[in-house]
Amino acid sequence: MSHNTASKQAILAALGQSSINQLNQKPDLSGLKSSALLQADLINRFEKGLASVTGELVYPDDDNSFDLLKGNVAQLISQGMQVISLVDGIQGNQLMPMQPHELKHIDYAIIQARFAVAENGAIWVDSEQLNGINTNTHRVLPFICENLIMVLNKDNIVATMHDAPEKMHLHAGDFGTFIAGPSKTADIEQALVVGAHGAFSLKVYLI
Amino acid sequence: MYQSKSHADNATIFCRDENRVDWHSKALWNLREKRDRAAASVPEWEQLRQLGSEIKLHTLSHLGDYLCQFEQKCIENGIQVHWAKDAIEHNAIALKILSTHSVKKLVKSKSMLTEECHLNPFLEKHGIEVIDTDLGERIIQLNNQPPSHIVVPAIHMKKEEVGELFHQKLNTPKGESDPTRLTRAARKHLRDQFLSADAAMTGVNMAIADLGAVVVCTNEGNADMGANLPKLQIHSMGIDKIVPDAESAMVLLRMLARNAIGQPITTYSSFYRGSKADGEMHIIIVDNGRTDIMQDKILAESLKCIRCGGCLNTCPVYRRSGGFSYNYTIPGPIGIAVGAQHDESNTIPWACTLCGSCSYVCPTKVPLDKIIAHHRRLKAEQGKLPFGKKYYMPAVGKLMSSPTLLNCAMGSARLALKVIPHSLIKPFSGAWGQYRELPVSPKSSFDTWYKQHKASNKEAK
Repeated sequence: MSHNTASKQAILAALGQSSINQLNQKPDLSGLKSSALLQADLINRFEKGLASVTGELVYPDDDNSFDLLKGNVAQLISQGMQVISLVDGIQGNQLMPMQPHELKHIDYAIIQARFAVAENGAIWVDSEQLNGINTNTHRVLPFICENLIMVLNKDNIVATMHDAPEKMHLHAGDFGTFIAGPSKTADIEQALVVGAHGAFSLKVYLI
Repeated sequence: MYQSKSHADNATIFCRDENRVDWHSKALWNLREKRDRAAASVPEWEQLRQLGSEIKLHTLSHLGDYLCQFEQKCIENGIQVHWAKDAIEHNAIALKILSTHSVKKLVKSKSMLTEECHLNPFLEKHGIEVIDTDLGERIIQLNNQPPSHIVVPAIHMKKEEVGELFHQKLNTPKGESDPTRLTRAARKHLRDQFLSADAAMTGVNMAIADLGAVVVCTNEGNADMGANLPKLQIHSMGIDKIVPDAESAMVLLRMLARNAIGQPITTYSSFYRGSKADGEMHIIIVDNGRTDIMQDKILAESLKCIRCGGCLNTCPVYRRSGGFSYNYTIPGPIGIAVGAQHDESNTIPWACTLCGSCSYVCPTKVPLDKIIAHHRRLKAEQGKLPFGKKYYMPAVGKLMSSPTLLNCAMGSARLALKVIPHSLIKPFSGAWGQYRELPVSPKSSFDTWYKQHKASNKEAK
């Protein structure tokens, strides 16, 4: 719904008086997309990008990070942690509550990433991943959990942000976010503190 | 807070504590150095700046079309769109939405626009509790101050001062000044606020026209914690926040955090293309003087700004005079560019050495120094030159355009500097001489020296 249409008309009329109503062409951005890179190179770049935003990549040499994650989750649960998983094949010990506020006790949330960006370690998640095996996941989950674990398929790494739009899948009415590391702040004397309002840690399991 | 005192008078207050000035300047220069390293790590950085500038200029020159497209797409996505001519209308719209939902507590994430509109005091007057949730914003809100920087709003405060403030307001132990422990205390305090809020409000970093989506960037996660808990979310944006599409947004996203604080990207860059299930999403599109700015071809380019704060960090005047010296919500070079017309002291366009460092670091190539110089001209044309410049500048103009008068005056000055004790002449040098020594009188004028030098060069050949 549109409100205050009189003000809308006034603003549009005032824009008619703009001094920059000349023809400024939209620049061609297609050349910014990256050329094909080797997967090993992308993984290497992503690991560096993720480290620069204080995230951690888990990618064992024997290539069985999914089993490793399973084992780690079992261990977390045995330590009394509250774990919620949206990833097929990984079992947490918490179910999705009715109200988003009830997620405040979650120690670990495990979410499937759609894709990641090598240059800055950012990982894209949208409503499809958040819904995962549930149908009523709350958008707040990756922000409210104390620690975030993401599962990323190694085929889903792009080089730069310019390669992101075509992989984003942001449907009408949807929500999506790039998450680059755990939450952080430097608002007190520029001292970096990890764990501001969101997760204290971010681990990415590459499978 | 913003009494219209001259920038120099405000800066004098800030400069009383010399150690603090050095500390402040160094903290900001540190950000500038981080920015340089981040920019250097992207080989196509200069190309991105050029494209960023072209994207914004293109969008501004078709702004009416893009705003209409944005609104249409938002409506298709179930988002309610409101239009506000000015701050008063913006605040009234926000209040109306909040009242309709009987909101008692509102959590806000950083928005320079709502600062510009003075929304917080307005809502508080109407009985709504407003909680700023960005740590820096919360600090200054508890300290009853406006932001002194657009990205790091509490940059003027030392950790010991934050510690004392938190001791009084949040019951942290007396004398606690460790940033990690203070941040933990704020996290606990603000989590309670997030969980008990009835609505959330955020600013907007970019509004994507062809998606009908807003992009909100934070490092702390406060915008997303806020917007994704209560049913109601409101996003306020200036008309200048529009970009055509996601591809354009990516160009700006690559530069925003790098240029602001040297980080490759903010921790969270969230795209809201509709409300949560059973929720309600509102966007308020605000003019508040922006279409006026667009009528002046030079000033219009200031609307290319993406509010990274890079120009503040590099500015030699901002670093040494602090954010409260500018008589405007936004300080530093960009604050002069978009705020000088509101400055009743008519001094802030002179809070600038015209060194051009701001324009050099700007990710969308806003010609800040050119805009500031233009503001000086505008003030002169309006008969609003400060410091008596109105009276002596015409005389200086006449003097400098006549070689005879100038040579004569300079001759007298050289003689005076030579024969009269400096302690006697200094009072006549005004504000200029307050922190400077008078120059040693040269033997001759430049004109004479040049002629002699040329003559002796000829002889040597």
